[in-house]
Amino acid sequence: MSAARTWAVTLRIVRQFRRDPRTLVLLFAVPIVVILLVGYLLRTSSGGIKLGFVEETGGAAAPALGALGQTLSEAGVTSYHLSRAEAEEQVEGGELDGAIIVSPADQGAAISILLEGSNPQRSKAILRIARQVSLVLSTSSALPQALPEESDLSVTYYYGGPDFDTIDFQAPPLIGFFAFFFVFLLTTVSFLRERTAGTLERLMVTPTTRAELVLGYVAGFGIFAVLQAMVILLVTVFVLQVEYAGNLALVLLLVVAVTVGAANLGIFLSTFARTELQAVQFIPIVIVPQGLLSGVIWSIDTFPRWLQGVAHVLPLTYSNEALRDVMIRGRGLLDEGVGLNFLALVGFAAFFVVIASMTLRRQVG
Amino acid sequence: MGPAVSVEGLSKRFGRVEALHDVSFTVAPGQTYGLLGPGGCGKTTLIRLLLGVLRPSAGRAVVLGRPVPSPATAAVIGYMPQLPALYLELTARENVSFFASLYGVHSRRAVDETLALVELADRADSPVSTFSGGMRQRVSLACALVHRPRLLLLDEPTVGIDPRLRVAFWTYFQRLNDEGVTIILSSHVMDEAERCRRLILLRDGRLLAEGSPAELRSQAATSTLEEAFLAFAGNGT
Repeated sequence: MSAARTWAVTLRIVRQFRRDPRTLVLLFAVPIVVILLVGYLLRTSSGGIKLGFVEETGGAAAPALGALGQTLSEAGVTSYHLSRAEAEEQVEGGELDGAIIVSPADQGAAISILLEGSNPQRSKAILRIARQVSLVLSTSSALPQALPEESDLSVTYYYGGPDFDTIDFQAPPLIGFFAFFFVFLLTTVSFLRERTAGTLERLMVTPTTRAELVLGYVAGFGIFAVLQAMVILLVTVFVLQVEYAGNLALVLLLVVAVTVGAANLGIFLSTFARTELQAVQFIPIVIVPQGLLSGVIWSIDTFPRWLQGVAHVLPLTYSNEALRDVMIRGRGLLDEGVGLNFLALVGFAAFFVVIASMTLRRQVG
Repeated sequence: MGPAVSVEGLSKRFGRVEALHDVSFTVAPGQTYGLLGPGGCGKTTLIRLLLGVLRPSAGRAVVLGRPVPSPATAAVIGYMPQLPALYLELTARENVSFFASLYGVHSRRAVDETLALVELADRADSPVSTFSGGMRQRVSLACALVHRPRLLLLDEPTVGIDPRLRVAFWTYFQRLNDEGVTIILSSHVMDEAERCRRLILLRDGRLLAEGSPAELRSQAATSTLEEAFLAFAGNGT
């Protein structure tokens, strides 16, 4: 085992990166743009609803609706007061997402709802608002205030907090996901190039051992994966202002574990591709299922049983849980969840190292 | 001193195709041997068997006193593949010093000298992607030479190189021979083969004849190597 040879391989990869500005952009700019977009979209998804109120009770429900409109505008819902005919026309024409009609009934008021209906998320939000309206009106002649204020309820947050958004929940896994994605893609392609250009054969006839080669590769790509993770972390914490309770060194340690696995899986799979196009075809096989099933977006415990089983053979499942534990819950390596998930990542990495080494035998055929 | 390379009954099958059939020869140290034959005759297979990247189906090869493959000999063999296997994004110097460090050579002077030898000192810091085919071939040769190997295995080293530089290569090969370096190179160019000390004629994976260019010509009673090759090939079938 020669550190000099390992370092030579690492240095070569770093130099190749430096000469390749497109890859650098891919590595650093793309995750930043994606994470900013996800953050922006998740924070604004509830907003933008246009809702009409039709009040036909001759003013009896007006104070309650006025107070509710105030609350709604804070949540990004714009409300309008109009006549039933206007509401029907505008909902059908798509200018409004829906309208809530309050009409007189035997006891108090009756509520009917018009929905534009093509966007199920908005429809559901309007139905929720309508339930609040009915709640307010049924209890309300005496209660002008729309809803019990949150501050009236006693809430205890164990982790996160009242300002915690979906993005706070989803940013930690994205760090692991991007590290895995880029390191996997870049090692697969660059190893494929080594094979097709003949440089791999040239390397294998030097005294370089498989271990030195694999270690050099892992270190070369690991440097960039760690830099990428730090950049993503800075953006999420300082630009997106995501809550962050964790220990930076531990986050980077998890990223390194993910990187070792991803680089070696890439080396292994590069054997099965003849062209770069074929290498890119591994993305839907390796990356997309992990993006969907590893709990980046949807929690694994909501999956049907068999899909949970699938999720548990994906390395990113473990890195996602560990990164959430560290970054949101501020847990350490010795806490049970983090420790076991880290061990699982190490196990995956070791397995991928073994199968990658098998494809790097000096002698073939 | 024993032979630099000795090969006994070496055969290699790829599935149903026999790329090399029962080839035996020895190579004396400090000489240049030419593997001569048309494309697909088994030259590259033979070189890769000597390197140990292929495992023979039968027979054995001993290189520098050790059976192939041997980690100990890897450090003293230089290999130049047929296609210039280089990192195109890197400069000539970075390519050469990369292979140098894999062979445990860390001196900047060794790299500079090797680059000067292949007449690339003035372009040493340009990326190889900007080089012509012949220049890439020279960088590739430099990568095979930089650690001063005792045995050089060169697969078609002079393809795409202009005549002036080809002469320079041959002069340099002679100098390496004088220093005791053994060279085995493959070629399909007959006039180039005249410059080798000894030749191994291959066709369809079989050894047709072995000897110095003059011996081969007189054995076949022909005036050129090309005619000699055809005469041997005719006898073989």
